[in-house]
Amino acid sequence: MKIKIKIKRFNPNEGEESREPYFQLYNVEAGEGMTVLDALLKIADEDDPTLSFRRSCRSAICGSCAVSINGHAKLACKTQILPERHKFGEILVEPLANHAVMKDLIVDFSPFWNKMSRVTPYLTPPPGRQEQADDVKITPADEAAIDRAQTCIMCGACNSECNALEIDPEYIAPAALAKAWRFVGDVREGEKQKRLERLSMEHGMWDCVRCVHCTEYCPKDVRPLKEIELLRSAAIGRGITDNHGAKHVESMTQSVKRVGRLDEAAMTFKTLGFLRSLGMIPFGLKMELHGKMPMPLIFSQIEGMDEVKTIFDEIEEKKKEKE
Amino acid sequence: MRAAIEAAKSGLNVALVTKVYPVRSHSVAAQGGINAALNPADSWENHAFDTVKGSDYLGDQDAIELLCREAPEDILALERMGAVWSRDFDGNIAQRPFGGAGYPRTCYLADRTGHGILHVLYEQVIRHGVIIYDEWHVVKLVVKDNAARGVIAIELKTGRLHRLHSKAAVIATGGYGRVYKTTTNALSSTGDGMGLALSAGAALMDMEFVQFHPTTLPRTGILITEGARGEGGYLLNSKGERFMEKYAPKVKELASRDVVSRAEQTEIDAGRGVDGCVLLDLRHLGAEKINERLPQIRDIAINFAGVDPIEKPIPVRPGAHYSMGGIMTDVNGMTAIAGLYAAGESACVSVHGANRLGGNSLLDAVVFGRRAGAAASEFCFQTAFPEFPDSSLKDAAHEVADILKRDGGEPAFIIRGEMTAAMENSCGVFRDKERLTKGLENIRELKERYKKVSLSDKSDCFNTELLAVVELGNMLDVAKAILIGAVNREESRGAHSRTDFPRRDDEKWLKHTLINKTNGELKISCKDVTITKYKPAERKY
Repeated sequence: MKIKIKIKRFNPNEGEESREPYFQLYNVEAGEGMTVLDALLKIADEDDPTLSFRRSCRSAICGSCAVSINGHAKLACKTQILPERHKFGEILVEPLANHAVMKDLIVDFSPFWNKMSRVTPYLTPPPGRQEQADDVKITPADEAAIDRAQTCIMCGACNSECNALEIDPEYIAPAALAKAWRFVGDVREGEKQKRLERLSMEHGMWDCVRCVHCTEYCPKDVRPLKEIELLRSAAIGRGITDNHGAKHVESMTQSVKRVGRLDEAAMTFKTLGFLRSLGMIPFGLKMELHGKMPMPLIFSQIEGMDEVKTIFDEIEEKKKEKE
Repeated sequence: MRAAIEAAKSGLNVALVTKVYPVRSHSVAAQGGINAALNPADSWENHAFDTVKGSDYLGDQDAIELLCREAPEDILALERMGAVWSRDFDGNIAQRPFGGAGYPRTCYLADRTGHGILHVLYEQVIRHGVIIYDEWHVVKLVVKDNAARGVIAIELKTGRLHRLHSKAAVIATGGYGRVYKTTTNALSSTGDGMGLALSAGAALMDMEFVQFHPTTLPRTGILITEGARGEGGYLLNSKGERFMEKYAPKVKELASRDVVSRAEQTEIDAGRGVDGCVLLDLRHLGAEKINERLPQIRDIAINFAGVDPIEKPIPVRPGAHYSMGGIMTDVNGMTAIAGLYAAGESACVSVHGANRLGGNSLLDAVVFGRRAGAAASEFCFQTAFPEFPDSSLKDAAHEVADILKRDGGEPAFIIRGEMTAAMENSCGVFRDKERLTKGLENIRELKERYKKVSLSDKSDCFNTELLAVVELGNMLDVAKAILIGAVNREESRGAHSRTDFPRRDDEKWLKHTLINKTNGELKISCKDVTITKYKPAERKY
């Protein structure tokens, strides 16, 4: 069956006037089991050798071929054409989002690698343990704690889908955070405190807006959001709370404990402090204009606070059990 | 990367030049594991014996002894770097049985051991400040007066040629699976280092020994790990028989790879296959074991064969997998050219001889990668900076410009398609003189046509078509070397199975094949095998 594949193209070398990205349509003979990567290879061989894209293992383990297919990041080698077309009615292939395009489907990955480097991506055993063999026994449970983070293939799909990265290019982003957990969660690691302190700084783990896209679109089920949550819990557990993110979480907890709901005005003060909260007044006025201001500004307790208390008590109980 | 880490540790200024980013290299796809005699009930001598026997006595026994003796220490070194091995309940490193091994000595990380090791090595590369020139493709090894002077590489992003002047260079470019039509290898496994080394004057050794992995998926050639059989999987023919009982009554599915591939091919040729395949049945292992030990295999079977192994057997067939041969080196990775080293699949020490055991390739890469890195550093400390011949950059630039300039010739993919088909038909699991000679003629003709190949992409930025042409040049050289060796070796040994010479002939052929390029022609010669304490005997599983 002939199938139309639409590909977003760009070549910085072409003449001045054609320096804008454009879409090109290809017809490909597609059969059962054919992947988008198979189609790209076929096009590059038989139809248009100028089409550029990254590829290597073609079995979803090297991480080279992540592109955007019908609007979301996917591995070209793992995405079959027929089901994809059945679902979306067409096959639209574009470069990954949140990355600068260099040519056709090839994006600039250097920010990705730089962010990896920013999380000190190697095990740092405590001093004195560096060269000793096998003195820390690792149990299957220890292995399980970091197993998901370890399966990352660095394809960049999560970063491509990340809403926080779209707003702030400096944001460390989910791939590097999953990598960070791989070390913070490792029983052999000696610098957990330092790592968590660094991750709590600006552009760090607290900038995640929990949109769950990273987890939803990860082709290897790494679930970066889970790792971000583990990192955040670990940081609060170690008392690294002098930052907006941790304060926000703490004020949220307190608010629920106190009135059984989110008291947003009070939370703003607790997260940002008094002076910075004054700076939020214009924003608050704008919210009011758009009818988005929660009213009343000061909440009374909800009914059934005794149930909320029971939940908190049980959490405390569980925490103690764990310890 | 293992070599780079070792060299960087010694304080040298080290760079990695790679056509893909380091975590994309094909070791990432190694699934099953890495061998080491860790258990007190096992011994490195047993590991060495299994490797010698697996090699059909063509492996050099001094090198094999060294490999097996140093293996446990390298496993622990990887763990110290951060590798996480799958564990047993007591927290010891778990080991699984593998083909051709007399003891369960394959360490693993689920079924993504290569991925685990490659990423840990990448971490250490960053830790030791190794410079990474990623997406740079080496087009020339610069050698003058039999001494390496560095390399010339094309930066894919800009199309610019760069000279990298160095005292020493280590080639670690992996295998050449892509010269075959059906292969487990990545699209990037094009034997670049072997082609470059041959052109630079180094020798290739034992190139006729190509490992065909018994369990690859039809059409794509994607690998299903030997671990699937290690965990208890059966191979069945169309009648539902466990046919390995016939070919290797003792160890059945866990005979060494050449034996299993030949058995499968025999079944398929005798009409007892299923659409050109046999069946790998894992159903009796149960969902829990499959999900825990072989999760990636389940994903691969679902995504690439449309089969859930919990419910149905997976169709598999032999596919080109590993090159036992490669650039001839000593146990320190040194080639015949001063300052030029090689390691891993691109090298031939030789520890795998005529057939490699599963779990020994990652080990080879780690042990001899480390040794090559250390030896290259040692060499650098003792050697003055050799001068870099000025003309070499200009020559390389002319060659590239010449390819870009050509018009009206045929595109590379047609030649590549004919080459891979020729290799598959003439130099597969079973070989004979007639087919091999025809294959060789085919490749000679393709090499002529290659001289006129032309491009439609003339641009500088990520010209992947140009890269494909350069790769094809290396592949044609490699294919020719494989065929010359295969025609010449008139016996059957390990993975090289001649139907016209079905017996192993130790008297005439207990020798390595060497191939050199002189004045553009490939010349063949031979070299004795080193034998220490394991006398050649008949090989039975």
